[in-house]
Amino acid sequence: MSTEQQRRILIVDDSRTMRRMVATSLAKIDQCKFEEAENGLEAIERLVLGPADLMILDLNMPEIHGIDVLRFVRARPMYQSMHVVVLTTKGEESIRREAMAAGASLYLTKPFSSSELESKVRGLLATSKE
Amino acid sequence: MADSNQPSDDFFNEFLDDYFAECEEHLTIVRRCLLDIEQFIGERVNDQSKLDELFRAFHTIKGISGMVGLEQAEQLSHEMEGYLRLLRQNEVSLTQFGFDSLLEGTRVLEEVIQAHKEHYPIPEIAPAVASISRVASNDTQVTSTTPSSSSGDTKGNWRFLFAPSKEHAASGINVNLVRERLQEVGQILRTTPLVEAGEVVFEFIVDTNLSLEELQPLSEIGLTFNQLHAQEDAAEQVSTSAATSPATTSVRVDLVRLDQLMLQVGELVVTRARLEQNLNSIRTLVPAATWRQLQEVKVTLGKQLKDLRNDVMRVRMVPIAEVFDRMRFVVRDIARETHKRVAIDLSGKETEIDKYLVERLMDPLLHLVRNSISHGIEPEQERIAAGKPAEGQVFLRAQTSGELVIIEIGDDGRGIDIEKVQDKSPGVELIDAHGEIDTTTLLELISAPGFSTRQSADMSSGRGVGMDVVARSIHDLDGHLTLKTEPGVGTTFRIQLPLTLAITDALIANADGQTFAIHRSSVEEVIELQTQDINLLENNEIILHRDDVLPLVRLSRIFNLNDKREGTLHAFIVGTGSHRTGLVVDKVVGLREVVVRSMNDPLVDVPGIAGATELGDGRPVLILDVMEILRVAQNPIQQSSN
Repeated sequence: MSTEQQRRILIVDDSRTMRRMVATSLAKIDQCKFEEAENGLEAIERLVLGPADLMILDLNMPEIHGIDVLRFVRARPMYQSMHVVVLTTKGEESIRREAMAAGASLYLTKPFSSSELESKVRGLLATSKE
Repeated sequence: MADSNQPSDDFFNEFLDDYFAECEEHLTIVRRCLLDIEQFIGERVNDQSKLDELFRAFHTIKGISGMVGLEQAEQLSHEMEGYLRLLRQNEVSLTQFGFDSLLEGTRVLEEVIQAHKEHYPIPEIAPAVASISRVASNDTQVTSTTPSSSSGDTKGNWRFLFAPSKEHAASGINVNLVRERLQEVGQILRTTPLVEAGEVVFEFIVDTNLSLEELQPLSEIGLTFNQLHAQEDAAEQVSTSAATSPATTSVRVDLVRLDQLMLQVGELVVTRARLEQNLNSIRTLVPAATWRQLQEVKVTLGKQLKDLRNDVMRVRMVPIAEVFDRMRFVVRDIARETHKRVAIDLSGKETEIDKYLVERLMDPLLHLVRNSISHGIEPEQERIAAGKPAEGQVFLRAQTSGELVIIEIGDDGRGIDIEKVQDKSPGVELIDAHGEIDTTTLLELISAPGFSTRQSADMSSGRGVGMDVVARSIHDLDGHLTLKTEPGVGTTFRIQLPLTLAITDALIANADGQTFAIHRSSVEEVIELQTQDINLLENNEIILHRDDVLPLVRLSRIFNLNDKREGTLHAFIVGTGSHRTGLVVDKVVGLREVVVRSMNDPLVDVPGIAGATELGDGRPVLILDVMEILRVAQNPIQQSSN
């Protein structure tokens, strides 16, 4: 993990507590800079202002559903290489399929385990930096 | 639910404070939205945005409850979310039973979270869960007949475009700010991210009554806009997602940190006073020009400190809406329990008060509102017979006045039955010579511990469930409670509170060599008097002031100091109405900004002392509790027992 450049991780969730839980779970990963967005609009805005290496994305959010955020960014070439971890409250299997079809790299459900999230994210970041 | 998943680790327990705080926020939203959708009972809920808000609030509570391992809250909010999904998809009408189940579910959910917080056993959730799932399965069988229109009449909608950029971001303009501004001008019907000419833009469709001219200022935050025509509108009507609660661009700060900040400002205030004291002692030693400069610096410092204090104070301020909105819920519940029709009128919800006060005001206000409905508002028949509207009115009003916030809670009910109160307190005259009700004494009587609980038979006419608790709580907050009541017309309680408790302006006075401080807000006037003008009336000292008799209380006598001083004295005029009293001291030293320190040693419980402070020279000074002093002065027996 010895890269000279910092990786940017964008955490998108309308729950403040959840964003903190995610950030704390990933805090041990070196060379990472965390940013937070409390809704889909803000997430897209932050990506427009500067691309991220990885996005943790909640689905059920006000105004723009996470799936729509995912579809929108995946349609833009500059965000093709970004990893997107969909992290959402357990729901129907159809949502998982929809998320994967829209371009999610990984689909995890809440409640999540901090160590599992950390190792999965480490894994994803490693594949892009090999 | 959680068992099939990874168990939530203890790791997340450190987030419990955040968890409770966020749950409270969502429950506040839930309570507000539930009251808003109540009007739709028996039909389809034609307010998509409220349902969306409710759904998301439960959804979030479910998510974070799972993370902290509070399964009961997770399961309960899951059920509520499920029912709301049906309502949201317009598959079912909102039935009375459904609405009640949501209310009950919310209540239980609150209890579950509270129990977890206080480490009590978690209450049983099975009945609430069963009730909601029964609603969900029964109501689904009702078939839909009318198509839903989620956004109502959308004629003349406006289309706004915002392109995020680094320049905008640098000047603090971002999509959340844009959305907030748009929410101020109307209802956002839809938001879509688009790509125009290779750039990402956000499109907002907004329903507003404002004209092009009135919307013009929005171009300053980078918005371009145009009005949509009828055909475009028709297309827009397909849209579903609606506006949500205003997004917060705020920072959350632990109240403890703010307390500390306030304390530090307080220390600064004391240090400044000390500096002033030291400056005065070198006045003759420095050249006049230097002295003038020092004075200027001193004055500037004082002003800056005052600004700092005000700013820190403002940070602590939150709108009283938090408390008021809760009352709508309470009114609804009690009205239903007591089978009365009651409407609630809230005004001044935007009035800001110290967060500390908000939390401590909840219970007293609850008591007062409950009393208004249970004992103030008459049953429907009685109201009609008396020529009143069948529906009772309860109102809550808030406003600020200088350094004070004034809250009024009232009803248009039957008023307090003076005779019954009087019957219970033989020897006390509640009607004065002019036929007016002595409300101060009345309030004292009904606020006496056990006043009504002992005589529950008289509850229907009396007023007093927990009035002693109310009076005590208000008093502890340095507040002042008064009352107005008129038979057949209604009763109003008025609470006057300092905006903040930590730093206050105080008058400093001497009595027999001792120095005392008194809140400026409790003093109406300071007068000078001569001992020879004091008259004795049945062992009480009085003087004539503004053509009226003013009873005097000597501070030195209250604290068993020497009170034989002759010549010129000063008095603070305190209290209201027939309780107006002159609190006599030897000399008023001046007005100072003081930092209030509470006296919380249980062994030091002296009636008449509200706290302590420190003067510029480092001397500790006691802060007087005016209301308590007046009480002690009026009950000499109590005085000697202390």
